Amino acid sequence: MIEIQNLQHTFAIGKKGKERRVPVLKGVTLNVGKGEIVAILGKSGSGKSTLLNVLAGFMPPESGSVKVNKQETATLNEAEMADFRLANFGFIFQNFQLMPGLTAFENVELPLKIKGVAKGERRKKVQQLLEKVGLAAVADHYPNELSGGQQQRVSIARALVTDPPILLADEPTGSLDSETEEDILKLIQSLNRSLELTFVIITHDEEVANVAHRQYRLHDGELVKGDKRHAI
Amino acid sequence: MQFKDQIDFIRQHMKRNKLRVATTILAAMMGCAFLIVLASVGFGLHKTITDDVLNNQKVTEIQVAGKEDSEEKISEKEIQAMREIDHVIATVKRSSPEAEATAVLAERKGFVPPVLVDFEEERKAGLVLSEGEMPKSNDEVLVGYHFAQTLLTEEEQEKVDNGEEAKGFAGSVIGQTFELELTPYEEGAESGTWKFTVSGIMDEPGKDWIINNKVYIDDSYGAEFNSKLSLAESFNEILVYADDLQNVGTITKTLKDKEYYVYSVTEELSSMDMFFTALKAGLIFVGTIAVLIASIGIFNTMTMAVTERTREIGVMKAIGAQPKLIQKLFLMESAAIGIIGTVFAVVISYGLSFLANWLVPIIIRSSMGDEEMGDFTILISVIPWQLVLIASLISIGVAMVSGWRPARKATKIDVIQALRQEL
Ligand SMILES: Nc1ncnc2c1ncn2[C@@H]1O[C@H](COP(=O)(O)OP(=O)(O)O)[C@@H](O)[C@H]1O
Ligand SMILES: [Mg+2]
Repeated sequence: MIEIQNLQHTFAIGKKGKERRVPVLKGVTLNVGKGEIVAILGKSGSGKSTLLNVLAGFMPPESGSVKVNKQETATLNEAEMADFRLANFGFIFQNFQLMPGLTAFENVELPLKIKGVAKGERRKKVQQLLEKVGLAAVADHYPNELSGGQQQRVSIARALVTDPPILLADEPTGSLDSETEEDILKLIQSLNRSLELTFVIITHDEEVANVAHRQYRLHDGELVKGDKRHAI
Repeated sequence: MQFKDQIDFIRQHMKRNKLRVATTILAAMMGCAFLIVLASVGFGLHKTITDDVLNNQKVTEIQVAGKEDSEEKISEKEIQAMREIDHVIATVKRSSPEAEATAVLAERKGFVPPVLVDFEEERKAGLVLSEGEMPKSNDEVLVGYHFAQTLLTEEEQEKVDNGEEAKGFAGSVIGQTFELELTPYEEGAESGTWKFTVSGIMDEPGKDWIINNKVYIDDSYGAEFNSKLSLAESFNEILVYADDLQNVGTITKTLKDKEYYVYSVTEELSSMDMFFTALKAGLIFVGTIAVLIASIGIFNTMTMAVTERTREIGVMKAIGAQPKLIQKLFLMESAAIGIIGTVFAVVISYGLSFLANWLVPIIIRSSMGDEEMGDFTILISVIPWQLVLIASLISIGVAMVSGWRPARKATKIDVIQALRQEL
């Protein structure tokens, strides 16, 4: 499903002309199969988000290759990459990244609108997903009228609404208390089981990493295999 | 994204910043209304003057004054050819014998210019009588509206010579037979006398300062006058009549192509049209400056909108919205501001135009007095649909152009940076 080969990335930090080159990823290789949950652990600043951003196509890899569904993403232009993301990825962000002017329902509906799905079909799909994440009752609430956990559920529903095969989560529980965190993790696990969804979860939290089938640790720009608690 | 959803999306966004959007629309509206009202004055004056020209003359009349590079008079054959041009209903030839004419009726007499005409053709051209009927025989004639009033007794003639007023012949001249004495202008030439009976009186001339005391005689007398009095070939006036004003232009052109000297109302109007077209273009240009000033507001509003929504744009892009879609949404938003502003501007302009047309004549009348104005109607402002179209294209176009840079900026937003923004 995802094949990352010898991915390298260096940031230039500081003023132009006097910048320091900081290698963040020094040759990362990672394969993720269909229906797997893979967690990438690492300290803050270790380059986890950078890895995910390259994988998502938010920035091009400096060198190395990223293949998703056999497609080399670096060869896609901006518009093609947008379509590719719409078809293949769902995103779960630490800050939920909901639209403040849209209700829970409308937030979940947004990717379908972008895709150009007709209204009737949209309604059915969104309704169904809001029920699945347990938010049918607050469908017409705005994000600022929802708790953190509810907001993250909305964002998960939004990530699922286009039926993408892969979900990318950057610190999905980073803004939640531990009880809510547990709920969200359970939801992720159940989605993985019932829909055979592939997850790549980025976290600094061991608890979160424990829901994964495989764990990796990003250290000094290299990916080291962590302990495997669940056999595949 | 479906178009309907795009509209929805924009509406939601505009609602979120009601005040800012409303003031920007207000500015766009004022610019566009200024443009329309200003240019409408050009259209109004053009219409006022055109109407004045059309109301004060026989608009379907085309005067033919002669032929280029030719000393010869226009022949009967050529006149016949004019009658055959499409949409020509009549071509009349009027000639005046080169002689002084005196009409004598009982003890009254007066100088009356004789005109030789073809009554049948004049009737086709739309000759209007105020009284009586067309001549049925050769010795019946038509007379001008003021004919009776020029017939004076010797007493009355003296009064007129002293600058006093005289009534002239009272009662109807219809059916009256008078003597017409023609004296050639040449010294010592013999004069001749003919008898005519008045069958009808011409309509009152359009302008009250025109005096028509002519005698219209059947043109079969032309040869007789000429031979009896040995007159020189008389001066001819040739008038071609079109069936409708809209055909005057083509007939004028046809005649010009045949190398006639032609004068018609379209000639007069076309030179005026040129002037007014330039005036209107100038006014539209000045009005466009107001629209451009308003566009600065649109530019600011859209730039602020993009900055404010950086995070949201980032999310949209992350989810899979193409840069083109983002650009389109912002362009549509600035276009919407332009469109709404324009719609209000059109409504307001019609209101202002109506008000000006009502108010300005009242002010002019009160300062000039009724008499001087006469029945001259003034249209200060006219807004034809073409002006609405031009103004709409300009203000919506300018709105979109000023939204273009902010829209481009939105497409260039970096997803990672945008998502990092705090809520
Ligand atoms: N756009 C950038 N420009 C320069 N340096 C960056 C940029 N983004 C991230 N970095 C640096 O790269 C390193 C890794 O960042 P990141 O991938 O966000 O780490 P993590 O998500 O693991 O906390 C950090 O040292 C950070 O300062
Ligand atoms: Mg991070």
